[in-house]
Amino acid sequence: MLKHRPVTPKMFRGTLAGSVLLALTLSGCTTAAPASTEPVAGGTLVYASGDAEPTCLDPHVGGNYPQALVSTQYLESLVSKNSDGEIIPWLASKWQESADGLSWDISLRDDVSFTDGTQLDAAAVQANIEHVQDPATASSTGYLALGKVTSTEAVDEFTVRLHLSAPDSSLLDSLSMPWLAIQSATALQRSKDENCQAPVGTGPFVVESWVKQDAVTLVRNDNYTSPPADADHDGVAWLDEIQWRFIPDSASRYAALQAGEVDVIDNAQPDTIDAAEATDSIHELNAPRPGASNRIELNAGKAPFDDQRVREAFIRAADINDGIDSLFFGTAQRSYSALSSIEALGVSAPEYFTTDVKEANKLLDAAGWRERDNEGYRVKDGVRLSLEFPISTNQSIPAEVSLFEQIQATTKEAGFEVKLSPMDLSSWYGALGANQYNLVSAPYTKVGPDVLRILFHSDAITPAPSGYYANHAQVSDPELDALLSEASEVTDANRRAELYRQAQDLVLSGYYLLPLYDQQNHYLVSSAVEGLRAMPTVSTPTFYDVWLNR
Amino acid sequence: MSHAQAPVPGLSAASGRVQPRTRNRTNAAELGAAAVLLFLVAAAIFPHLLSSFDPLGINPAKAFSAPSSSHWFGTDESGRDIYSRVIYGTGQSLLIGVTATAIGMGLALVLGVLGGIGSRSVDFAVTRLNEVLFALPGLLLALVFIAIVGPGVVTSTIAVGLSTAPGYARIIRSQIRAVRGSAYVEAATVLGRRPVTILARHVLPNAVAPVFVLATLGVGQAIVWASSLSYLGLGAVPPAAEWGAMLSAGRTYIGTAWWMTVFPGAFIVLTAGAATVLGRSLQARTRQENR
Repeated sequence: MLKHRPVTPKMFRGTLAGSVLLALTLSGCTTAAPASTEPVAGGTLVYASGDAEPTCLDPHVGGNYPQALVSTQYLESLVSKNSDGEIIPWLASKWQESADGLSWDISLRDDVSFTDGTQLDAAAVQANIEHVQDPATASSTGYLALGKVTSTEAVDEFTVRLHLSAPDSSLLDSLSMPWLAIQSATALQRSKDENCQAPVGTGPFVVESWVKQDAVTLVRNDNYTSPPADADHDGVAWLDEIQWRFIPDSASRYAALQAGEVDVIDNAQPDTIDAAEATDSIHELNAPRPGASNRIELNAGKAPFDDQRVREAFIRAADINDGIDSLFFGTAQRSYSALSSIEALGVSAPEYFTTDVKEANKLLDAAGWRERDNEGYRVKDGVRLSLEFPISTNQSIPAEVSLFEQIQATTKEAGFEVKLSPMDLSSWYGALGANQYNLVSAPYTKVGPDVLRILFHSDAITPAPSGYYANHAQVSDPELDALLSEASEVTDANRRAELYRQAQDLVLSGYYLLPLYDQQNHYLVSSAVEGLRAMPTVSTPTFYDVWLNR
Repeated sequence: MSHAQAPVPGLSAASGRVQPRTRNRTNAAELGAAAVLLFLVAAAIFPHLLSSFDPLGINPAKAFSAPSSSHWFGTDESGRDIYSRVIYGTGQSLLIGVTATAIGMGLALVLGVLGGIGSRSVDFAVTRLNEVLFALPGLLLALVFIAIVGPGVVTSTIAVGLSTAPGYARIIRSQIRAVRGSAYVEAATVLGRRPVTILARHVLPNAVAPVFVLATLGVGQAIVWASSLSYLGLGAVPPAAEWGAMLSAGRTYIGTAWWMTVFPGAFIVLTAGAATVLGRSLQARTRQENR
């Protein structure tokens, strides 16, 4: 896809605006009427997250979305993306792929320091890649994304060379993700616990403290020099401080926003988004996540879903469109794709997902599930057609859990028994690790279509060092493996698109998944918050350009 | 060792100082409570006669309907009829309440009798164990049990039963101690009755009767506790029509669909209230008989 593009470092600008602001601040104008159109420096913003509180603030460890949300404020990656989806420079100023695609030279900016004073250099990048690949780190997302990187080499002080086992058409996409953000090599030498408590990066904010089950306090980095090429201003961030709180209960979170106790909430519920549209004091930021769509995966690795007819029957029996309309108040569009709607190479195939209970019954009869017990569930050889569905209540919002209940009700007509088990995140990881599921809804965010390889290549049934494996559908198809491997290596954009199209067709026609909608990512924001945007990489909010107009 | 009576509300009456207002007349509150309980028992046994919708039947097109003539209590987020769900939930809630209280009572009987008739050292051990359990608030004890065994309807019922046991045990023990010292037990001993006979014929009936009355009050409390556990996601699993679970599902929409929480909540209050009123009046009557 993207070939090397020469890029010049971003020009510095806005010195005048900066000094005007400074003058305003010094003269105490921050308390004036909220009619300012020029950014105002200072103030504390309160963010309330409904995602699970991370167990570690270093996104190399494990690597989930809650970590990405908070670490976007204090860690930065080698490259980023602009709103057109093109790779743009960040900590790296330029890059060059070798002719055979087996190595990449990445040039770093020479004027960036970590917040502990360590200089950003080639050795720092080497240390980070080593850290992610070290089994002791227990990385999954970052580890999988760096799967083809075999070794690193410092060409000079500010140029690092990555050696690959095979060409990687998604390397830059991978490097743009927060799970591969660059941390201070000095800080990485601390114990894992220390680094989890307060990772050290180059970002616009610094982790000052973390009171577990309460809040992370982030303060401004006064020596900040490295905004991404598409940021709105230069220099340090406007805000003095961010209080990053965790309020798991969605109604309390929204109430806190309404009361003005918090300024931004994530995981906004559809009914509150609907209600907020009618007010002037709150607005919405909708930023669907890239990578996979939000989908239910059917575990083909064990009975009864090892039989394609049973998988198709389940998908044909599930009636979800009306449910999505009523539960999501029009905030979510039905998806028929394995990929997010913001992925250009996504294939949408509604024909595989039309509801047809008659057809479902026929398929189940053909698959040998002919009898029904006195509760109406199908039985074969004395075994009930029963499906375990563990639900992570940290990841599935209440509306989604209600949608699963509706799927349970509609598939019952065809004779499926769906056992819903809501549980916390760690029990849920446990159930997946123990293969105790037939159905699961697991978000997976990755930049670019290479997420298909992560989710559906048979290699991804082998767990990463963290114990997590991403191929929950346990798809094991040599033809698909070959398509995905080739797609991840070719540089010809048309060939790559064609391979991903074929791969998606295999996945969808194999009835391994039931797509629901994009991974919902709605933020509700107080009208006093100006300049908030989501990073075009994985749609996490960045508070670098944010200022408070109150 | 202290032999002071446990400060349990209502039990001070065992010493017979309260003068009941009513003798044999039933008052309006009791009638009302009896009517509510009768209705609830009927709902528990014949839910299909009192409601017209399937409690689990979804109808997304009718989601979030406000109370109306076709849906008396409105519908929930999946278009299920809340009135039908509340009615179908009655059986489970009553069963949980009664079973949990029975479990608590059974355990309390063992502990209380051991403490009441055992030697000094057995009594000492049982009393200390009871005090340790008392150190944990009841609901917390239930949470500890669920944390060890895992969530679910059965475990949450046992958990509620377990957490009520120490209270009952303490009362049974002191009742037995009081009865043991009474003149008729002394008389039976003098007449040469065997200890087992004395325990079965004289001590237990007199000591335990007041506690059974107390258990009526306990049923109401057990229902509230079991609902609390379901509300926390530790009891009944969605989409089960259980009052606490319904409250929990409705809280997300409390700003836009008040009927999802108000009606299940009202039934919890009604049930616990009715059980309490009846329990109190039973208590008053037993006292009169004892006088």
